[in-house]
Amino acid sequence: MKIINRNNFISIVCVSFTLIVCGKLLFEKATGFTDIYYTENIFMCLGISVLATAILALHYYLQHLPFVPVVIGQYLLLLAVIFGGIWTLGHFTENAPSAYRDMFISVSIPYVIGAIVYYASFFMQIKKANEVFMNLDQNE
Amino acid sequence: MRFIKTREEDLEENYLELHYDEIDEETAAVLERLRPALKYIEGTTDGKRLTVPLADMYYFETVDRKTFGYTKNSCVEVKETLQGIIDEYEKVGFVRISKSAVVNLYKIKKLQGDLNMRTLIFLKNDECLVMNRGYRAEFYAALNKLQGRKKA
Repeated sequence: MKIINRNNFISIVCVSFTLIVCGKLLFEKATGFTDIYYTENIFMCLGISVLATAILALHYYLQHLPFVPVVIGQYLLLLAVIFGGIWTLGHFTENAPSAYRDMFISVSIPYVIGAIVYYASFFMQIKKANEVFMNLDQNE
Repeated sequence: MRFIKTREEDLEENYLELHYDEIDEETAAVLERLRPALKYIEGTTDGKRLTVPLADMYYFETVDRKTFGYTKNSCVEVKETLQGIIDEYEKVGFVRISKSAVVNLYKIKKLQGDLNMRTLIFLKNDECLVMNRGYRAEFYAALNKLQGRKKA
């Protein structure tokens, strides 16, 4: 089943963007941090949301391949595109000295959390299914 | 309509017996639901034609454009395609697990996941099949439906 498709792509981007921006604003409010690159960073968040959704949508086409190389490959592709974006932007505006490190952390943390949740849900689903099969056996 | 379940030891084959004066709507509905499960499937093995109860089928598999059905300890070549089997027998617990295999949910002993998120399906005859990630959603939807029917 294709989870991300043409019909829900924009909605998924919008939801991800909203969550990322809300997270960013809450973090800034909590730490008292003032973002001097506010506009640039908001557009960067939008770009990341579009990219991450597009890359995750590729997952459907890679289902016949083993999961671990696919997840690592998608992660590396996402990082490569984002670093490429930062490098390109660096030609037009001034990047923060820690731009690459910050982006690496900003991308890696949600990606790893997402992968762990996905992985855990897979094994939970199997555990639940085994309980169903056990019940079926007992009913027989 | 009443349902009486009786355990008889050493019975060769389980059977259902219906006692009725008239087939009312409720009984007809139950019969309608039972019909696919009590169907037989035709096939050939070693050039001999034979019919096998659908409920005895563990799984179907396509090899070299031929479809084979596997029971506990035998194999028959059937005319149906995997898609045809799904279309016809989905309601009685058959579900697709890969491009080339359809399994009977009632014959599954347990599932096991591996690191690459492939699901290993262990059948009651100790055979093991592999379910691709692409068929997971379909499989669990069928299992939920079956569970719903059991509860109802």
